[in-house]
Amino acid sequence: MDTAERVLLEDALISLAERAGRVDRAVTEAAEGLLFPAIPAGLALVAVGGYGRRQLFPHSDVDLLLLAAGDGVGGEQQQAISEFLQRLWDGGMRVSQQVRTPEECLEVHDRNAELNISLLDQRFLAGDRALYAGMGQKFPRFVESHREELMRNLARLTRERHAKYAATFYHLEPNVKETPGGLRDYQFVHWMEQLREANGARMAQPEAPAELQQAFRFLARLRWFLHRQAGRDNNLLTFEAQDAMGGSDAAAWMREYYRQARAVYRAAAGRLENAGAQSSGLFAQFRDWRSRLSNGDFAVHRERVHFRSQHEMEQRPELVLEMFEFAGRHELKPSAEAAQQMEARLKGLREYFKEPRALWEALQRIFSTEHAPAAVRWMHETGVLTALFPELEGMECLVVRDFYHRYTVDEHTLVALTNLWKAEGGYGDLLREVEQPALLLFALLFHDAGKGRPGGAEAEESHVAWSLRLAEEAMRRVKMPETDRDTVRFLIGHHLELSAAMRGRDLADPRSMEEVAHQVGTVERLKALTLVTYADISAVNPAAMTAWRAEQLWRLYLKVHHELTRELETERIAGAPVELLDGFPMRYLRTHTEEQIAEHVALEERSRGRGLAVEIRRRESTWQLTAMAQDRMGLFAVLAGTLAGFGMNILRAEAFSNRRGLVLDTLVFEDPNRTLELNPTEVDRLRVTVERALGGKLDVRDLLRNRPKPPSRKQRVGTRVRFDGEAGSSATLVEIVAADRPGLLYDLASAISAQGGNIEVVLTDTRAHQAIDVFYVTVGGRKLTGEQEAAMGEALRRACGE
Amino acid sequence: MKKIEAIIQPFKLDEVKTALGALGVDGMTITEVRGHGRQKGHKEVYRGQEYHVDLLPKIKIEMVVAAGLAEEVIRGVTAAARTGKIGDGKIFVYEVAEAVRIRNDDRGDAAL
Repeated sequence: MDTAERVLLEDALISLAERAGRVDRAVTEAAEGLLFPAIPAGLALVAVGGYGRRQLFPHSDVDLLLLAAGDGVGGEQQQAISEFLQRLWDGGMRVSQQVRTPEECLEVHDRNAELNISLLDQRFLAGDRALYAGMGQKFPRFVESHREELMRNLARLTRERHAKYAATFYHLEPNVKETPGGLRDYQFVHWMEQLREANGARMAQPEAPAELQQAFRFLARLRWFLHRQAGRDNNLLTFEAQDAMGGSDAAAWMREYYRQARAVYRAAAGRLENAGAQSSGLFAQFRDWRSRLSNGDFAVHRERVHFRSQHEMEQRPELVLEMFEFAGRHELKPSAEAAQQMEARLKGLREYFKEPRALWEALQRIFSTEHAPAAVRWMHETGVLTALFPELEGMECLVVRDFYHRYTVDEHTLVALTNLWKAEGGYGDLLREVEQPALLLFALLFHDAGKGRPGGAEAEESHVAWSLRLAEEAMRRVKMPETDRDTVRFLIGHHLELSAAMRGRDLADPRSMEEVAHQVGTVERLKALTLVTYADISAVNPAAMTAWRAEQLWRLYLKVHHELTRELETERIAGAPVELLDGFPMRYLRTHTEEQIAEHVALEERSRGRGLAVEIRRRESTWQLTAMAQDRMGLFAVLAGTLAGFGMNILRAEAFSNRRGLVLDTLVFEDPNRTLELNPTEVDRLRVTVERALGGKLDVRDLLRNRPKPPSRKQRVGTRVRFDGEAGSSATLVEIVAADRPGLLYDLASAISAQGGNIEVVLTDTRAHQAIDVFYVTVGGRKLTGEQEAAMGEALRRACGE
Repeated sequence: MKKIEAIIQPFKLDEVKTALGALGVDGMTITEVRGHGRQKGHKEVYRGQEYHVDLLPKIKIEMVVAAGLAEEVIRGVTAAARTGKIGDGKIFVYEVAEAVRIRNDDRGDAAL
């Protein structure tokens, strides 16, 4: 851009009005020469829309209303009108004209709301002044009496436009007119104010707040420049145009653009919300009903959350996090007032959060709410997110130019969170199976944080390395437990690998899949990484996750899952320094920390005297039973049965045996009646009962006699039993999917034992009332024969209640 | 001019693109497609449930090249996309009557 153009740019606003003035003269002149001689009365020319406002960009359409008296225009007059328009076109103006009667101008047009809106900016140009006055004087009264409908139509148009742009202003190449936060939104705010303040006497001309006026000037200059540069009505701020505007630091200049667009978008979004609130009586009732959610800290009013006490918020910074937990749980946005209060406190919050503090639990609660992605978005909007994690600042409004990405890095991240939560089909099932979705959310939040660091935007490896470093610092500060940090490190460090495998690996080649399985390590990690990949790809642009890609990723998941399940039986630890581990599946090493292994070794020592040892521990919201015993027929069934007898609900279970026939069983269970929590002595009684049952001093069936019978109604989930003799080297894989119920695992394990089957490895899981169990079973130390499979299959289906 | 349409395994796309780049072919249209030839579909099992995979994912690359370059392109694609196993894909070659660059009315080889 040369200096002359830059100077002109400064004067863009004057230029807009000047162009409008020039067009006024040209239109009047043409009309006097060609139009009014043929139609001396009953026709008036009215400037509307941007032209009416005297804001004509160099290549904008000239919006012209030909106001015609009620009896319409005849053939000869039509001829004059088309000659008049022809003249304007030949003069280089793109005229967008409509011929309307005054009556039509004073009706609500639900299907052509644009007509009503364009008239808000009407300005008489020439012709039959009395005809115009008749309409012009009635117009304010028309607006006042149809205020609600007009506002509703305008809001609908705006919502439709926003939806086209995925309702975000963080586009890499925005349209400065149409994208949310663009000039159209500025105008929308103005029109809404005009409609709101309409009175029958005259049209209101509300003044925009200074912040918006500034944004308008910024955007108007920009659009003026884009028109000049392209020589046509171009409003797309392309990468080339960004370079032209921003010079050597286009990225910094774009941040300024987003800052201005944000101011406009916020104002527009605020008006949209109010318009929604006014539109439905039912909604208002619901809204008032939601006020009952208010509690001691937060008040809910008109679908917004307020702090009860500003003082309290200032005294106790954690209250801010609780606000977002509340917001995420009930899908209630913090009120504008609360947002302002938090924004005013950002500096203090930043100081407070800078110190290492045990905040992870509070964050985990936010990240586990039903509307966690919305809560994180609100944290981002208020600046609380970066006050908490300054590590994320580098990706704010960051433009990374490539062919596929549609959004800035922060917006991409927020969209990824939303997509993760919305995952459907198989991916939705995976999300429900993941133990700590909060960790996925945290990992996604940081997965691209490194893009804002030196070299991060250019090279994949360096952005991943940076993201890891930034996440590390953040995890340390919020005191995330070490095992959780490991998961996050894994997810960030490998977040590109599944998509690379989708593109570059032969999914039909078992060796290739084995390699991926080795990188991933465990079924749990595979699930988490698949979900992160799914969310990441779908957030690149709205069309990025094609059905084809979703299928490819799913196929990759299936193949690797298959490899990992197969490995349970085939890949065993050999020559381990600790004898206990010798012969356990490799999975054991991947799923246990050093401390856990040390605990198991201690448990094994305790088991030496009686040949068994049992331990029961609380793990956050669940309990875990760990048993070490010499393998014997029905051992796993005894454990499952005893827990069921105590009314416990088994969520997951694992059983491994080592080379010496020592079995390690782990069962994670829920205590739905809080028996153990409320009666600490029951924990001991449960442990002693398990030991007695294992020692053969007690029959588990007696314990189960008093338990409720399995539901007799037809199960929603069909039972599926499948045998695979190929998966393992010395045992048969038995996979069972069935409706979950109390005691199911006991019945299944008993059915296997009753058929002479010995359970070598177990991996079970439940999701939404469905149990998914994998057993590796041998009979007499060998894989099952066809007949044995048939008999056991029959017994298992019976156990499932079929 | 010839139009070359290659159906290849998805994981071979990068290699094929590199091979084409080396031959100076930069313009191409890539589509994610599904289909099968003699390879047919197969069955996958997940959690006791069978998934029938009737149509396999493939990538379709379309490009138009000067007639003299066609053989070389075919060799390049074949070499890059081959694993020797069933399912490697196919190449189809068509005669092209005319090419026009919309921007400036270039025609024939100049438009490629």
